[in-house]
Amino acid sequence: MSLVAIIESSDPAVRDRCLDSACEDLELDSLLAECSALEEFRRRSENLYERVRALFFLYSIHRFHIPTKLGTDAAQSNISFHGYEHLLSRRFEEAIDSFLEIQSSEGASDGISSALAAAYHQLAFQTLANQVRHSVRSVKGNQWMFRMGHHANHPLRVRSELTARNDDGTRPILCERTPVRMDLSHCGWSDIFFLGMNYPEGARVLNVSIDLAVHGRDKEPRPPVEAYFRIIDEPIIRLTSVDLGATVDIDDLGEVFDFAKDYLGLLKAAVIASGIVPPGIEGSGKSLKKLLARVCGGDRGIEIVSNVNNIPKGSRLAVSTNLLAALIGACMRATGQTKNLTGPLEESERRVILARALLGEWLGGSGGGWQDSGGVWPGMKLITGVMAGESDPEHGISRGRLMPQHRILDETDCSSETRQKLQDCLVLVHGGMAQNVGPILEMVTEKYLLRSETEWDARQNALGVLDDILTSLKSGDVKSVGERTTHNFKGPIQTIIPWASNYFTEHLIESAQKDFGEDFWGFWMLGGMSGGGMGFIFAPHRKAEAQERMQEIMSQAKHDLENSLPFAMEPVVYDFSINENGSTAELLKAGQALMPANYYTVRVPTLLRKPSQDLPATERAELDKFGAACRNDPELSGMVQTLFNVMLPKGQGGDGEQHSLRELLDEFGFDREQHERIRTDLRDGVIGLSQNRLRADSIIEDVTEDDFTDARAIVGSKSSASKQRGWDALKNGELAMVTLAAGAGSRWTQGAGVVKALNPFARLGGNHRTFIETHLGKSRRISNQASAAVPHIFTTSYLTHGPIDDVLKLRENYGYDGPVILSPGRSIGLRMIPMVRDLRFAWEEMPQQVLDEQQQKVRDSLRAALIGWAQGAGEGGDYTDNLPMQCLHPVGHWYEIPNLLLNGTLASLLQERPQLNYLLLHNIDTLGADANPDLLGMHIKSNACLSFEVITRRLEDRGGGLARINGRPRLVEGLAMPREEDEFKLSYYNTMTTWISIDPLLDALGLNRTDLNDQAIVTAAVRDLAARMPTYITLKDVKKRWGHGQEDVFPVTQFEKLWSDLTALPEIDSRFLLVPRHRGQQLKDPAQLDGWLRDGSAAYVESLCEW
Amino acid sequence: MQIQRAIITAAGKNQRQLPLQTLVDRDGQTKTALAILLEEVIDAGIDEVCLVISPGDQAAYETAAGHLANRLQFVEQSEQLGYGHAVWSAREFAASQPFLLLVSDHLYVSGEQRGCAKQLIETAIAEDCAVSAVQATHESKLPNYGAVGGRLVPARRGLYEISEVMEKPSPTQAEQSLLVPGLRAGHYLCFFGMHVLSSQVMELLDADLKENESSVHLSSALSRLGGRQRYLAYELDGRRYDIGDKYGLLTAQLAIALDGQDRDEVLTGLVELLVTSRK
Repeated sequence: MSLVAIIESSDPAVRDRCLDSACEDLELDSLLAECSALEEFRRRSENLYERVRALFFLYSIHRFHIPTKLGTDAAQSNISFHGYEHLLSRRFEEAIDSFLEIQSSEGASDGISSALAAAYHQLAFQTLANQVRHSVRSVKGNQWMFRMGHHANHPLRVRSELTARNDDGTRPILCERTPVRMDLSHCGWSDIFFLGMNYPEGARVLNVSIDLAVHGRDKEPRPPVEAYFRIIDEPIIRLTSVDLGATVDIDDLGEVFDFAKDYLGLLKAAVIASGIVPPGIEGSGKSLKKLLARVCGGDRGIEIVSNVNNIPKGSRLAVSTNLLAALIGACMRATGQTKNLTGPLEESERRVILARALLGEWLGGSGGGWQDSGGVWPGMKLITGVMAGESDPEHGISRGRLMPQHRILDETDCSSETRQKLQDCLVLVHGGMAQNVGPILEMVTEKYLLRSETEWDARQNALGVLDDILTSLKSGDVKSVGERTTHNFKGPIQTIIPWASNYFTEHLIESAQKDFGEDFWGFWMLGGMSGGGMGFIFAPHRKAEAQERMQEIMSQAKHDLENSLPFAMEPVVYDFSINENGSTAELLKAGQALMPANYYTVRVPTLLRKPSQDLPATERAELDKFGAACRNDPELSGMVQTLFNVMLPKGQGGDGEQHSLRELLDEFGFDREQHERIRTDLRDGVIGLSQNRLRADSIIEDVTEDDFTDARAIVGSKSSASKQRGWDALKNGELAMVTLAAGAGSRWTQGAGVVKALNPFARLGGNHRTFIETHLGKSRRISNQASAAVPHIFTTSYLTHGPIDDVLKLRENYGYDGPVILSPGRSIGLRMIPMVRDLRFAWEEMPQQVLDEQQQKVRDSLRAALIGWAQGAGEGGDYTDNLPMQCLHPVGHWYEIPNLLLNGTLASLLQERPQLNYLLLHNIDTLGADANPDLLGMHIKSNACLSFEVITRRLEDRGGGLARINGRPRLVEGLAMPREEDEFKLSYYNTMTTWISIDPLLDALGLNRTDLNDQAIVTAAVRDLAARMPTYITLKDVKKRWGHGQEDVFPVTQFEKLWSDLTALPEIDSRFLLVPRHRGQQLKDPAQLDGWLRDGSAAYVESLCEW
Repeated sequence: MQIQRAIITAAGKNQRQLPLQTLVDRDGQTKTALAILLEEVIDAGIDEVCLVISPGDQAAYETAAGHLANRLQFVEQSEQLGYGHAVWSAREFAASQPFLLLVSDHLYVSGEQRGCAKQLIETAIAEDCAVSAVQATHESKLPNYGAVGGRLVPARRGLYEISEVMEKPSPTQAEQSLLVPGLRAGHYLCFFGMHVLSSQVMELLDADLKENESSVHLSSALSRLGGRQRYLAYELDGRRYDIGDKYGLLTAQLAIALDGQDRDEVLTGLVELLVTSRK
């Protein structure tokens, strides 16, 4: 049966067939023929989901099936730069055309398939996102907001209750209080819009509205989310986020749509999505003052305040979506869009708020799940997908509607006693990890649309779990709820997404099990992935004890793992209670008409700085009222002190941090003189991003077959000419491994500053393994086979040395029998505030991935803000406004081998093992690199100084490669490419894995083995060579954490020298070996993990290891 | 069905002076707005008119009515309890008969020979049921009017079965409940300020007043009327002009003048004004 027939079939048994099994037996030619048919089908089909499914089929075939069916003799077609540019600009159809043209003229190849896979993947998600957006706009009650383009047509009016004044001259305040939601079953991510719209019968969630308190800090649970609305006597929109300590007065319509300019994007989205400043008026250039006059009357404006009672970000309880919903609710009530100004909401009103929250999330460029506004509804409810009916805008386009339906569970579904029991058994926590769940949601969507067999079965199983939980709730059996949620987590959830769990979570579950035995009833995961919001269910008589114990366990685990995993905050335990009201509002009048206490710490300092005669009467009256409340209300007793602290802050950053940064610089050998020279060059424009490039007249060409050795068929072959030589060297102890473990893996945790080498990134051999353990696993296998232990060196830096040393000691070198040696770095840099010139170069002159329309707007606004930050903070200045460790940077992997010489590691190793002749250097994330005897033998036989391993290039392999530069083969960094398109001429990508012959390298440095014992000679030799290496300026994203789990990312400037530039030196004999992709594949981003697992890379790595 | 009585409400707080304003009618005669409205009503075949006024306003209205004052009865609305209460105040005048209800701050220009009130009354008689005149209105005007949702009566031009009535709905509510097939996007059927209602409305208002003593809307009673008897909306051939709007009186005057014998003179004046006005 053809693949198109599977998609088109009306029989679910055929339609839900798994793509992988359908492709399994197809030869390459048949696969390509199926691709042509799918391509033709997706272009003609008018049904959205047929198109999308065909796109995912095409993606999957190119990503996972064609590469395995290409022989080693397959063509190596280069990806066209033209196509790549289309891809970056989101012109997916044009990109696909361009790549297909190459495929048809030059034949199928790994590189072209990677480009096609990327284009199909992005087009599929773009098509889905467009449909969600279209549906959001089409929801009745939202449409008018897109029509309104002139203030004179504004149909909303603020209710008269809010324009009236209190006796003291102030105005009443409308306060909306909203619970957050927890997903009691974990719905297997079936609340992703795309799933609900294609498979409504499978989109089912048991969602509970809850009040929260941080255990030990707050008195009792209360609705964690509050939104306040008030009319003010200035024609502005004043937005204040109490938690973020941010406030802004907006008097320009355009600024309402500038989401990333400040921390008030969510509030702005609410102003827009509630219709006060409707989306249709964006870009009209109309006056905000006139708009406000129309809505509020006279010269009035609106003040909106958000408050989330210090609940940490990343709680997986949908705090931000429910805050958005609360803000929208308050604004809608205030403008007469609900029947009642106060009290609970009606069902139809909740549905409009849900639709508006979806709109708000889209406007803000974020995307919550479809159940996330659940806090607006009361108590416990079953939220389910709905088939699209004739009157729905989705009819004929998708099977399901965008908007789900909510059924509130009544007493017969779950009695009051059961609800109480649930509260008495469940320990709700935030583990402290904050991770980007975006890639997980993409993986889920993709697997769903491909109907991957095991995942599809798991999804059906998860639906059964939900039914079981509903039955358990009906019968009041909370213990079995715990059993089912545990089953769900260990079974369906991790089958669908293995990455939903992690080492930290597994450790917590194990500890709870160990400490509470039979009284630990189960675990459940909240939200996209574990590590943040989680639930542990205990026998009720042990809940209090469990709350204390879980806090201890989590804090200890965080302490032990904070260098390995991205924690954003200290773990907390919550107290919670089910909220049976949903979102409700109250009109605060007279003396009660006060904003939340901390609002005044944001606003009062500004007011007090004004002469009292300049204060408007209403603000004076409010200050009087607040003053009286501070005197009389015990809850506000510490407010005066707080205000003093805010108005007269202690010195910024504190002396302690500055001191510590200085100490670190001294300790790690910071070269102030070099730093100042770099700063001067940077400010003078001598160095910079654009100066990283080779001369524009350099001739850059692809290499020819004579420039490298194709070793793909040799690696792992039963016998090869060089294998024996390799084994002999291994048996003689001639090789040592060098793993580069000095970096923080910025991309791996988006600049969170954890040690990538220690990140337990995946389950291998049944357990979560760190990168270090995996590399030692490979060396163990080779050592056992050679009956000689291979020494394993890990190069470290100021950031990684201590944590790696601690873990290796704690884990006793993971049981590795051979020597495990750390080579500490001897070079360090201090990050600098970037030059605006470099920021503009990176963002405006380098090819950029254009984002989806709304996300792009948000990004542009953020970039404008960052340019403002760089100018304000002083371009080229030292970057010191962060934790000291976040201000330092390693200076590039070129220094790693010289460090072995400088810190004496090589000298002492040679002393112990004079037979040592070779090193194998590789990146921490090149998991397939091992001491392969075939390649070692080839390197030895070649008598080369350095043999670099390269792989065929795929679209994602960016950053240079193997090239002929002015006629000479060498490796060239992406940074150094004079023209972006030059990189696309190159067929082979540099893996960084390098076989090094020690003596020839020493020779190139002008050294011999004896000289290694003389520090002065070594230092001089290294300095001489370093001076001949180019210095690159780079921009790195660094996170600054603040508040309760809040994070900002700043681009900072740093410099580096790179290892592969050694190939440019004529006196060094560099060779190049083309190796299989699995061997050279690098893991740079957690989003790669799923593909890495599915394309056989993980299995390949496992086959290289012994544990 | 016979309709011989009309109720005109004029007791609204900001509405009391509006019917007393002077305009030039389509025949070039200077009259008050009240007189123009009364002529519209009497031309439609109404014999008796009841004006619901604020206490103390009777003399001014009698003067403003001119020679038609003898057709008038007055009822004072002692408390401001909403528009529904104003209508209810005239329940004894209505005396269990169907009646024409108008607001005193609107003037009408018909698109045909018959006046707007006449069109409405004839429709109500033909359909033998309560009918509210409506006009397709842009959503930006929703804060000013009651609005209805419904569907076209088969084979009847401009007649709708009313399914929902809402007082000054927000656009959100209107979009969800009041969409009427056939209207332009963003337009809703809003009240024209003119209804033919059955006496049952008085009973519904009576019930509302007992339930809620502070404020009673007519829309609430009308929304229930549809559940009890046939109740239609009629998009008649004419325009309403709210003289209480900013420039409302001016617009109404222009509309009346352009519909009357002095059309050319007024047009000429307008053109001159356009040519000579600077800025």
